[in-house]
Amino acid sequence: MPSEPAAPETVVVIDDDYAMRLSCRKILAKMGLRAEVFEDGARGLEGVAALKPGLVVVDLKMPGISGMEVVSRVHEIDPQIIIVVITGYATIDTAIEAMKSGAYDFLPKPFSPDELRLIVNRGLDRRRLALESQQAEIERALLKRRFVTFVSHQLRTPLVAIHQYLDVLKHLDQGDNMQARRQEWIDRCLKRTEELQNLISDWLTLARVEGGTLTKERVRADLNQIIGGILKTYQEMAAAEGVALQNALPEEPLCVCGDRSCLSVLFDNLITNGIKYNKPGGRVRVSGCTEGGEVMIAVADTGVGIPEKYRPYLFDEFFRIRDDSAKRTAGTGLGLHISKRIVNEMAGSIDVESEAGAGSTFRVRLPAWREPEDSTHGSPA
Amino acid sequence: MTPQKRILIVDDDRDYLEAVSCFLEANRFTVLQARSGEEAMRLAKMERPDLILMDIMMGERTEGLFTVQQIRRTPELKGIPIFVCSSLYDKAPDFRTAPDSAWMAQDEFLAKPVDMVQLLEKIRRRVGEAA
Repeated sequence: MPSEPAAPETVVVIDDDYAMRLSCRKILAKMGLRAEVFEDGARGLEGVAALKPGLVVVDLKMPGISGMEVVSRVHEIDPQIIIVVITGYATIDTAIEAMKSGAYDFLPKPFSPDELRLIVNRGLDRRRLALESQQAEIERALLKRRFVTFVSHQLRTPLVAIHQYLDVLKHLDQGDNMQARRQEWIDRCLKRTEELQNLISDWLTLARVEGGTLTKERVRADLNQIIGGILKTYQEMAAAEGVALQNALPEEPLCVCGDRSCLSVLFDNLITNGIKYNKPGGRVRVSGCTEGGEVMIAVADTGVGIPEKYRPYLFDEFFRIRDDSAKRTAGTGLGLHISKRIVNEMAGSIDVESEAGAGSTFRVRLPAWREPEDSTHGSPA
Repeated sequence: MTPQKRILIVDDDRDYLEAVSCFLEANRFTVLQARSGEEAMRLAKMERPDLILMDIMMGERTEGLFTVQQIRRTPELKGIPIFVCSSLYDKAPDFRTAPDSAWMAQDEFLAKPVDMVQLLEKIRRRVGEAA
């Protein structure tokens, strides 16, 4: 982090030899570290507990509490502290034992200032790495927990609306103007159950993509055929919205290697989005080509477009644009996220080009199908 | 005749708003509706409701909590009882709000779905019988 001038890392040196303490302190201070020295294990441990150093250098052979014991007690205080032990030549065995009980490395006596510098730097680097990956782990766990909370909230929202309608209907059944309202509310309840169904099936699709079971099947799949089928299915729905569906795919097959049901989900999402976020009189046009070992499919709509500020989040789970310009359309906020996951699984890419108010074009690139090598031709060396 | 008590319902789900509003109106309350925290603040300042029902998750974030804070920091609004209604929690959570936005004795937490009979009872206890 560039902004904060980090406080110097603290290093504790525990050694009963006065000259050793003095020279260690001098070398470490020159390295820009805060060095604190202690003459025996008991005081050293107190110091470690109070100072929370990043690294401890401890002599294994000291009167009083042994260096070995210091090693294990330091890690009781904080398992992330890096420990370097100092040993005499005769005690390499003990050094190895110390490392088995958690010391990071050892320095045999006598050692040069360079040797100390090297080992301390390496130890502190190692600690930084460990702390960083621990931080990443914590963030991942947090995200996961938030995700679960968010999903259950998403599932509960339609359920709450339905419950609330039913509860009120139960209490207000005899009113004069309730008859029309009753009918309307039942329709709304049905709409909300549909929302719930969609959410659950999207959620399941996502779980299957993540588990890798959806994209396991790798067969020759002709996108021309798949997309043609989808466009036929939605002809009616699009017409009802006043949106024209145009198939501008080339005559020849556009073959990729993938799972057909997965590819259907992918293009179904893109095409229905194109219809949903469109305007009466608009169109959705699907075109494609094969070039440089890739199949490229473009789904272009003349709809509401995506304001630039939202584009970075477009493929995030549960992201939905809440804006006056965006139509209030039913959706789970999972469609594009699922699409992105599917494309990633197939080693492809997806991107979007959009102009607010004028429309969006989603481009999917997938590796083109390649006939398996015929074994009689031999393998390419 | 005493004027009807006024309840402001803040929620981004229009079906929830409709159902609860209809029930309260049938029980002779005047209902004001807001779909976001911002709209709630505007309406509250203008209309000074007798009680506020506040959702927490609106949009992608816990907008309701920020709005509770804002209300508590607005001198003319800070005494209005707020019932927080949310499906995020099963029981009153430990709201980590600033000291000056502290949870007050007249506030309540209600888990969604809200039991209508219970809601009516609690509202009546706070603001008195509707006219």
